[in-house]
Formats: sequence, structure tokens, C-alpha cells
Amino acid sequence: MPLKLLAQLSTRNLFRHRRRNLMMLLAIVVAVAGVILTNALIRGMQYDMREAAVANLTGHIKVLAPGYLDDPNIEKSFRLAPDWQPDVPAGEVEGWAARIRIPAVIMSERETRGIQFVGVDPARENISFLGDVTLIGEGLKDAEDGRVLIGVELARQLETEVGRRLVIITQGLDGKNREAGFRIAGLYDAEGTALEKQFVFTGVGALQKMVNADVVTEVSVKLQDDALVTDDKLELDVKSRLASFFSTLDVMDWQELEPQAAAMFVYVDSAILIWFLVIMGALIFGLVNTLVTAVMERIREFGMLRAVGMKPSAVVMQVVLESTIIMLVGVSVGIVVGWLLCTAWLGDGIDLSRWSEGIEMAGMRSRLTPRLMGHDVILVTVLSLVFGVIAALYPAWRAVKLKPLEAIRR
Amino acid sequence: MSDLVVRCHSISRTYQDDSVPVRALVDVDFEVARGEFVSLAGPSGSGKSTLLNIIGGLDRPDAGTVEVDGVGLNQLSESDLSDLRLHKLGFVFQAYNLIPVLSARENVEFIMQLQGVPAGERHGRAEAMLEELGIESMADRRPGEMSGGQQQRVAVARAIVTHPVLLLADEPSANLDSTTTEELLKLLRRLNEEHGVTIVTATHDPLVMSYARRQVRLRDGRIIEDSAREAA
Repeated sequence: MPLKLLAQLSTRNLFRHRRRNLMMLLAIVVAVAGVILTNALIRGMQYDMREAAVANLTGHIKVLAPGYLDDPNIEKSFRLAPDWQPDVPAGEVEGWAARIRIPAVIMSERETRGIQFVGVDPARENISFLGDVTLIGEGLKDAEDGRVLIGVELARQLETEVGRRLVIITQGLDGKNREAGFRIAGLYDAEGTALEKQFVFTGVGALQKMVNADVVTEVSVKLQDDALVTDDKLELDVKSRLASFFSTLDVMDWQELEPQAAAMFVYVDSAILIWFLVIMGALIFGLVNTLVTAVMERIREFGMLRAVGMKPSAVVMQVVLESTIIMLVGVSVGIVVGWLLCTAWLGDGIDLSRWSEGIEMAGMRSRLTPRLMGHDVILVTVLSLVFGVIAALYPAWRAVKLKPLEAIRR
Repeated sequence: MSDLVVRCHSISRTYQDDSVPVRALVDVDFEVARGEFVSLAGPSGSGKSTLLNIIGGLDRPDAGTVEVDGVGLNQLSESDLSDLRLHKLGFVFQAYNLIPVLSARENVEFIMQLQGVPAGERHGRAEAMLEELGIESMADRRPGEMSGGQQQRVAVARAIVTHPVLLLADEPSANLDSTTTEELLKLLRRLNEEHGVTIVTATHDPLVMSYARRQVRLRDGRIIEDSAREAA
């Protein structure tokens, strides 16, 4: 059966009832554009959550002393050679940072709070949220800087300000409490209070002196986003290299360190598919209805086609082609409209700062930017075409159910 | 190859009409020789259309055997019957049954396309057929833009352009006025006489009967008269 002939018949039949098919086409365009836009927003939320989790001093992969996660203190630490570099090809790693991160108590003249005291090399912290914060006052100059950087919210709770002194108490490697005074270099605004209340930063060298040990508690490695997209095994590969180098330490990825965010990341994949199936599933009923109407109007024509020798399979193919063509056009236009909505309309993202506290609890940041991903577009296209074929099966069966003679007599 | 194009032996066909059995054909023997122009005549319900449909492989008899061009139809599957209709038979229907989204030329080419005739040959044969039937000026018009007579001519062109061994016409004049009917019948007769096309038509129109050289009359599912006569 010449496919060209069937395609010609199918295409022309679609133009036979322009208004009806145009309405169906519009419904497909709106549904596909809507799915593309909402998928992109959900993806944006998904990746924002991951980036927030990774930026929260986690990184994609982290090296820790055994037992640190259960009991994080300076005793669960390790020495790192001064010239150490991760054994990973350039271009795959965005950066890495060695830190000391230990629990401590911070006191101002008026208040006392429990905090995570973090010794950092500020030059390496472009991989964490510390690289993006807004500063009031100064940042830390280098790894030996003995001042502290505290969050705006913590400063408010401690009723202190830039330039004032604070006392911090933590445990040294020898098990004894260490107490030292630190001047506030600056306050950081992290667009949310949770981080600002939790983390106080100083130079890693200064903190090593305070605990009297040349150690770190973690090495955090952040991979290149582009490399992660193109190579889905990169994370495992780097983790494996680090694990073989740090054979006596724990090497964990962000999914192990932030299981809630990781679970949400996986859940979103399913949610996107479910959302697509619901929207397109509803649309299919409309398409089936349109096709059944079109078939029943032409039942004599189908009878004639079979009477003159067209095989039932060719009649089925003709109906399937009609459905596929209308779906293909609708999906193509819908993708373009969806892409325009994602880029031209919401390209700068949606400002959610009004609900920043709730959003922070969900692990997101205050600006939601749509993220249109190639494999989502392919998924929408392929599944829509599959749905188009499925939608055509019942009308096609109606077209060939009657014998040619019965159909001609209708 | 036998000189007989159609050989029906003792065929019967009973329909269920609202659970009431209706005997459309009863023990009918019927043969058509190559090159004949036969009209099946009779009142409504006489069985003429049923006989035509059985010959055309669109219906199956309850009893008896049917052969078309030496091929026994009783044993053929639906798919094989489709092939037989495509390659050996031409149909002209009462309601023309052209494909509305195709032009006259494309309608004439349609069955050749199904047969897989190469495009060049297809175009040439369609053009020649339209010209022969005097409707070449309608070639690019769709059925909705043509009169009933023009549409029926296109339907005839579509049916015979593939050189079928048998042309079956079911009430070909039912939707035509007498002038157009006469033009159509002259055309059919010319095709029969000049091209040797074997034609079997079912009709209750005396004008159509008068153009056939052999009239077969049916009543209550039986052949009551089978006579050759001079055509009008």
C-alpha cells in the first residue's frame, strides 16, 4: 500500500473539516505548551533544590572521616596534604574546598546560640552558597583570617553588629574546650534565615590553631554542571576515584548526604511523567471523539475504498496517519509556544521572595527559573505521537468493523 | 482461459431482516461470457443487487459456487477477495462514491495507485481515459464541483482505466436524469463494443435494460427470464 497515497488522503481529509480539526489542534497546542511550561518549571524547582542542597556546603561529593555524620566533632577529622588536588580531568570539576566544620557555642554580650563553626579558605568557597551571599562589612581575606563572618539573622538574634567581638567555645582535638574571641568582619545575607542562623565562618588556618590540630573534617568537591548533563556517570566516576585515594575515609555523594533532597529529585521525575499522562490522557478523549466523528461521517467512503480493493490494514493506517499528523503538527507548535513561554515570558524566572521562608523549608531558593530540558521535549514528542496512534485505534476499528457492502449501504 | 468470465452454480443467499429470514437468491445458475453486456433486472428485493454483490466478492453465498475469471471465490479469504476486486473487477456505484478530497484525475488514478502502477504510466492512462470519456476539462475538479453525470463518468473512468475483466454497475443511472443516463449508457455500450469490456449491471431502469444485449430478469430470488436481444 503506497504510504504516499495514504498520507495524501489523510492530510486532505484533515482539511475537510477545518474548524473542527483546528479546534482539536488548538487543544493539543495548549496542552503541549502547558506541559512544556509546567515541566520546565518543575525541572527548575527540581534542579534548584539540588543546587541548593549542593551549595549548602555539601558539594556533589564529600570526603569525611568515618563516623563524622553520626557525631560531627573535631575528633572525626583527617589530615590533608598541602599539595592535594582531586585526581579528576580539568573541566569536570568546578572546584573543591577543604573545611573544618564543628559544633560550637557563640556568645555576644547579650545572647548565646549553638552554631556550626566552619573554617574555610574563602578563595575556594565559590562552590558553596558563601560565594553568592550579599555581604555587609567585609568578607574573610584568606584562610588565616582570624575574624568571623556571621549571618544577618544570627547577628539580629545576638544583638550584635560588624566590628563587635564574639566569644566562641568549641572542643579541641585533645577533648578540652577551647574558647576564643573573634571580631566580626561582616554579615552575610543568604536570602533565607536557616543558613544565616546555622553557619559562622572563619579562616580554616585560624580554626586549626584554635583546636590545636592541623586537620580538616571534610573535603567538598563540586562538579561542572555542563559535564554532569553530558555524562551521567561522571558523579560515580569521580566518587570512585576519590574513594580509592581516600581509602580509609568515607566518600559520599550529595544523595547520601541530603537524602530528602535526593528523594525529591527522583520524585519529580515521576511527577513530571504523571502530570504529562494526566494532561495528554484527558486530551486523548477529545482526539478519539473527533476521529470517531470523522470516521462515522466517512463510513461509506471507507466501504467504497475497501470495495475497490483497499485492504483493512490500509484503512487503519489512514486513520492512524490522520491522528498522527494532527498530533505531530499540534506537538510541534505546542513545543514552540512552550519554549517561547519559558524563554520570552519567564526567562528571568519567577520571584518567590514573598514566600521565602516556606520556600526555604522546601529546599528551594527565592527565584524559580524554568529549565527546559531536551529529554523532556523528546519525551513529550514521542509519548504524544504514541498517544496519537493509540487514540486512532478505536476509530480505525470502527472504520473497518463493517463489511464493505454494509458500509456502502449506510 | 475459459471464455466465461462469471460462473455461478446453484447459489443461494438468505438474509436475516429483523430476525425474519429473507431468501434473496434461490438456487441460481448464472454465467457471463467475455465481452457480454448483461443487465440484471427486476423489482426491488428480486435479488439482482445480491447477485451482483456476490459476483463482485462483496457478499458470499450460503450455498453454491462462484467463479470469476476462473477463480473460485468461495475459498478466498477476505484479503484475497480484496486483491481480486483490486486487480480483476471494476465497480460503478449508484452514488458514484468518488473520493471527495481527490480531483477527477486523482480519482481515476486512485486504483492504479493501489495496484502500484508507476506514476508516469498512471498519469498517461488517466489523461487518456478522461479524454476518451470527454471529461478532460474536469480533470482538476473535485467531485463536489461536478454534476452527477460528470461524477458518474469519472466513476466509470476509474473503474475501467485498470482494464478489469469485468465491470459491475449497480443502478448506475439511479441519480441521473434521462439525458445524462442516455449519455452514460452510450458510453458503456461503446466501451463494451469497442474495447470488449464485459459489463454486468443491476437495474430496474428500462432505459438501461434496453442498452444491454442480454437481459436477465429476476423475481423472488430466481431467474425467470434470460434473453438476448438487439440493443437499442
